Amino acid sequence: MATESSEGEEEGKITGGNHVLIVEDDLRELGKKAAWSVSSCKPGNGVGSLRDDNLETYWQSDGAQPHLVNIQFQKKVKLQLVVLYVDFKLDESYTPSKISIRSGDGFHNLKEIKTMELIKPSGWVYVSLSGNDPRETFVNTFMLQIAVLSNHLNGRDTHVRQIKLYGPRPNPIPHQPFHFTSREFITYSCVR
Amino acid sequence: MSVCLCNFLIQNISFLFIEILCCFRYTDRRKSAVHHFKQALSVDPLMWAAYEELCVLGAAEEATAVFGEAAALCIQKQYLSHGSASQSLNMPNEDHSTVSARNFGPGPDDASPRQLKHMQGNNLRDIPGNYHGAAAVQSSNGGSSNISFYNTPSPMVSQLSGVAPPPLCRNVQSNVPNPSIPSADSSPRSTVNSTIQAPRRKFVDEGKLRKISGRLFSDSGPRRSTRLSGDGGANTNVSATMAVGNGTSNSSKYFGGSKLSSMAFRAVTVRKGQSWTNENIDEGIRNENFDDSRSNTALTTSSSSPSGDTRSLEQGAVIPISAGIMNGSRAISGASEIMDLLRTLGEGYRLSCMYRCQEALDVYLKLPQKHYNTGWVLSQVGKAYFELVDYSEADWAFSLARQASPYSLEGMDMYSTVLYHLKEDMKLSYLAQELISTDRLAPQSWCAMGNCYSLQKDHETALRNFQRSVQLNPRFAYAHTLCGHEYVALEDFDNGIKSYQSALWVDTRHYNSWYGLGMIYLRQEKYEFSEHHFRMAFQINPCSSVIMCYLGTALHVLKRNDEALVIMEKAILADKKNPLPIYQKANILVSLEKFDEALEVLEELKEYIPRESSVFALMGNIYKRRNMHEKAMLHFGLALDLKPPATDVAAIKSAIEKLHVPDEPEEEM
Repeated sequence: MATESSEGEEEGKITGGNHVLIVEDDLRELGKKAAWSVSSCKPGNGVGSLRDDNLETYWQSDGAQPHLVNIQFQKKVKLQLVVLYVDFKLDESYTPSKISIRSGDGFHNLKEIKTMELIKPSGWVYVSLSGNDPRETFVNTFMLQIAVLSNHLNGRDTHVRQIKLYGPRPNPIPHQPFHFTSREFITYSCVR
Repeated sequence: MSVCLCNFLIQNISFLFIEILCCFRYTDRRKSAVHHFKQALSVDPLMWAAYEELCVLGAAEEATAVFGEAAALCIQKQYLSHGSASQSLNMPNEDHSTVSARNFGPGPDDASPRQLKHMQGNNLRDIPGNYHGAAAVQSSNGGSSNISFYNTPSPMVSQLSGVAPPPLCRNVQSNVPNPSIPSADSSPRSTVNSTIQAPRRKFVDEGKLRKISGRLFSDSGPRRSTRLSGDGGANTNVSATMAVGNGTSNSSKYFGGSKLSSMAFRAVTVRKGQSWTNENIDEGIRNENFDDSRSNTALTTSSSSPSGDTRSLEQGAVIPISAGIMNGSRAISGASEIMDLLRTLGEGYRLSCMYRCQEALDVYLKLPQKHYNTGWVLSQVGKAYFELVDYSEADWAFSLARQASPYSLEGMDMYSTVLYHLKEDMKLSYLAQELISTDRLAPQSWCAMGNCYSLQKDHETALRNFQRSVQLNPRFAYAHTLCGHEYVALEDFDNGIKSYQSALWVDTRHYNSWYGLGMIYLRQEKYEFSEHHFRMAFQINPCSSVIMCYLGTALHVLKRNDEALVIMEKAILADKKNPLPIYQKANILVSLEKFDEALEVLEELKEYIPRESSVFALMGNIYKRRNMHEKAMLHFGLALDLKPPATDVAAIKSAIEKLHVPDEPEEEM
């Protein structure tokens, strides 16, 4: 999943960040399938800036903490990784410091699945959603909520420049319980 | 009105059939198209283009019937009767041809306006060409008519080169790619026979085809060709070979569709030795000439001097009349030789269009070496291996084809798919680069480029490339199918369905699109639709074990397990190397709870393909259901060792956990 974290990663704490976004091949970005919304925003720095693939634009919240980014899917999806681009050098007191990730079926039954503390992050920050149990590699859910609980230097509002969500690629062959790994199987498995 | 004129002209000019046919074919009036194509063939048995179209439509008769003795006699008769009359016929023919050519343009042709434009544009230039063309038509029906009815100035022999020039661009006007493309070298292949007997290669056709093609296809070659050929392919290769001889450009690009051209080309190459030189001579025109022959309407060149019409074959040309004098016996033997060759090629092509690929390969092997080692034939061989899912052989055949005609684009889209399947990204990107530099405006080049990106899993860029290909030629069915595949990879099923349907609108026998639709419906859980579409694909290509396997899968999800098992058996027999039907058979048996049989099947499969994770995983599942926990554990472990992707790892590990819970709850995993 996450590769080259520039500095050590302690339990729940992330420092630094990568400047290049590198994700494993068997993951794909799922954000396009979701409806994104935020709890508040400053005009001109809305939710669109979170998804525009432009690191110059950012979302700026404009209300009370916690600031929320809500991601809702039409059907349950398996999510494995959340990647955020935040930069302390650029945003200073707007940089998020404590993040909580919740999931559930809707606003009524969100449950926290992960918390992270960011320490002067600068770049792409990878937050894995897997648990320790192999059965918990993915989070299968309708909705994900990323909550910014506090910022660096006790800032009120927050800047987040980009968010990406990753999940496993589906089996290219439908109605198969398992993926094919050997070349012979893959060669014969489709007509192009 | 133009239809009336056409009807009138049909009686006199057989090539008109081709135009009409195309119109019928494009407007989906299959029966009429087939009927007219057959008529065309009966009038002019050397009209390869017509036979090719019939093959693509799936309505061709056996080649022995079409290119048989009767046909040879017919040619001879035509030849002999027209021989002496050619000259006098020239003028009037010219009028006819130009007129008809013009009429075709805007006439029944539903083809693109471009064609029309070209036609008009070309007409002006063609006139001399037509002139000769007409003459040629009339007179060179004979088999070995090396006689060129065209008085083409003799080309510089030095211009001949062995390499087929790159395909001419669509703009007839602007081509002129390499006037000096060396027709001279092409000689090895083309020269073939400097003797009159040489024309084995559809020499005869050549003259005819050329004329016809010239007239018919004013449109830029490739487009038209792709249009005509749809999946016909190969034509260009043929052309290429021919072109090689000619030195003129185009390797075939075009006309894939224009079978004519290909044929023409072939003939041309054959001729080459001498006559070609004539052709090229006129700078600029040269290219056109070839185009012309290619059927690209290019219409030869507007050679200024009537005699300059290079198309023709012989250098001597001159003697259209003497052609008449050519002895009848030569004509007869030439005709029968040509027929032999056409018979073999036609049979091979027909079989490969029917997807009876092994038989097609056997037929092609009957060709003499020098014919086998040409771009078109090798490309067809490659295509046959591709359909047999023997990608390494296909790779080999296509690479030889590329060596034979490096500038030919026909069939290269299929080659790029072969490389995609083989996951050879270096070769694929090299191929794509070469194709783009050969011809930026050919749909095949962009298909190859798209396949390259798709292999890198960059589906959006791949889709853009395929869309470009579609833009270049909306009648190139494969480009639509590839767009569909990319939409599916991006999970945009609606657009995928639209793309596949466009492909089918262009060519109903494009079984890949039926398969694609079946896959989409399978994913969307519309199983009835899925089964119907797989069945349509199966009817078109009854030898494909992959299609049978999916048909079986669709039947299985519809709970029609008995039928599913029958199809799976057929699939297993159809291709011993395909492991998937065996695996699916095991799956079906598991769902029918016939665990022992399933295990047997999987054990065999394990022997055959020892490193497939899903086989072990399925066996583990079966043992688990049979409560044979140790074996289950063993197999799950083996499955994990083979490094399946994360979802499978999660599934297998959770299965392992569950295994132990009922027996030994306290044991930790």
